[in-house]
Amino acid sequence: MTVEFWGQQFKVNIVVGCLGAFLTAVVASMFGFGGGPFMVPLMTVVLGLPMYLVVGSSLLAIFFNTLMGSVRHIQFGNFDLTLFLVMFPAAILAGFIGPRIAQRVSPQWVKRIAALGLLVLALNLLGLY
Amino acid sequence: MTARIASRILLLVALVVFGRARADSLAPLTLDRVALDNGGTITVSGQAPPASRVFLEVWSEKAVTASFFDARRNDKGEIPYKLYLTRQLPAHYRIYLSRAGQSTLDDYARKGSGWAYSQALKDTGADAAFAVPAARPIATYQATLMASIAGSRGDLLPTLDSKEARRRAMQIVKARFRSVSKLLSATIEERPDGSFTARVTIPAGAAPGRYSVVAVAVTGQGVVKSPEATLENRIAFPLLYLSNAGTSLNLFTPFLLALLVSIFGVLMGAGGGFILNPLLVSLWPLPHTIVAGTVMPTVLFSQGSGIYNYSRIKFISWKLGVTMGLAMLAGGFIGPKLTELITLDQFKFVFGWILVVLAGLMLWQTTPAYLQKNKKEQAILKEFKRRAEQEAAARRDAAGAAAPALESEGGPR
Repeated sequence: MTVEFWGQQFKVNIVVGCLGAFLTAVVASMFGFGGGPFMVPLMTVVLGLPMYLVVGSSLLAIFFNTLMGSVRHIQFGNFDLTLFLVMFPAAILAGFIGPRIAQRVSPQWVKRIAALGLLVLALNLLGLY
Repeated sequence: MTARIASRILLLVALVVFGRARADSLAPLTLDRVALDNGGTITVSGQAPPASRVFLEVWSEKAVTASFFDARRNDKGEIPYKLYLTRQLPAHYRIYLSRAGQSTLDDYARKGSGWAYSQALKDTGADAAFAVPAARPIATYQATLMASIAGSRGDLLPTLDSKEARRRAMQIVKARFRSVSKLLSATIEERPDGSFTARVTIPAGAAPGRYSVVAVAVTGQGVVKSPEATLENRIAFPLLYLSNAGTSLNLFTPFLLALLVSIFGVLMGAGGGFILNPLLVSLWPLPHTIVAGTVMPTVLFSQGSGIYNYSRIKFISWKLGVTMGLAMLAGGFIGPKLTELITLDQFKFVFGWILVVLAGLMLWQTTPAYLQKNKKEQAILKEFKRRAEQEAAARRDAAGAAAPALESEGGPR
């Protein structure tokens, strides 16, 4: 498949892309997240697309997963309205606060701290401490 | 005249019923308190025939949905792949037994998550008191690979007979409450004359509403039960009861948690779902199905606003996004069905490894080699974004509208 973006043409191996997107979506929706952290490496490293094409398009792709996943989870009764009503305003508020902080912090350090936090959380989930 | 006869008949009936009730039931229980504030401990006392073994069955009126997926090889060497699901499991359920049973419970607690509830009930004799969950309706689904791909639970099988329902109810209860201490408690003090007292604890964070207590005495002749005694557990703001999760919690804590995680998510240029999920299942006794199913709709709107922001500056390839999105739509149809087929422990285990991989990916993105390679790309990304924003601003100016500052979406990845 050929994609045009800001006057440039990109060749995309759409079979590999869709297969990867499908598997990511199965796992991500099973565990309740969109799948962005896996889709961005898939599109940049595996499909070889430039970052400026990937940032917005990957978000659009995972939105489909989140939308369908939400509908299905609600259908299976895996949804608590009270918990949702508590967390939803927080997520909206974060959408306003986040970008203001983003301009002042180094993305490298955010990622390093996140990686450390994720490791601690992972060890906790694996029951290692 | 007729009224008098009618009242006499009523009295007679009442006497017969009351008399019969006395013959095959224990005396009503005495509770030292019948109103609790977000849990607490009460003392229950009663009278049983001498030399009987006494148990208490305690359950909440509030109920939750719970399920158990049987994917273990059975005696015939087959894997059943059956899902047992009830929508009416009490949100709190516990059986109390004699203090003498404490050492048995300790043994079971040492076995870790692999302990067998049915075996523990048998060993302590508490299976005589296991009644309420067994009486709740259980639906059985035959899961198949094809059904899973089609995103369905599978065929609904005929209703279980009472013996099978009892066995499956124990498995559902174990899958839901998991730990020995949540399900069994050895606090009953029995005296030689048959009188007994017990400390019954409704934990903080338990469901509000009515709780029932029934004493069960096992004598040489059989099993005798007491009438139901009830107590009321109240919770007040800022505690909220999550009716599907079966837990009450302070509303500010998940709010703050979601706020911090989502801000962090924005900084990383990702949603926060993969951090919020494991935190929620680790910090509170929330079922993983409810957590996964509630976090997804929560991040839906932040993703939507992100897409809107990018589309305003025409920074989305709709062709690429929609094509891959359709593949994800199919995946998202299947995944949520699989969540209920795994246990909380399996959920935590797999999520643990997902996070290890993610942490590795993120660290790799901060290595000097990656940054060097990425520098040019980042510069191009910034340049493109700047141009896109200028163009969008120019369009708005041309339209005569005031151009609001663009909310830039996170840092570059």
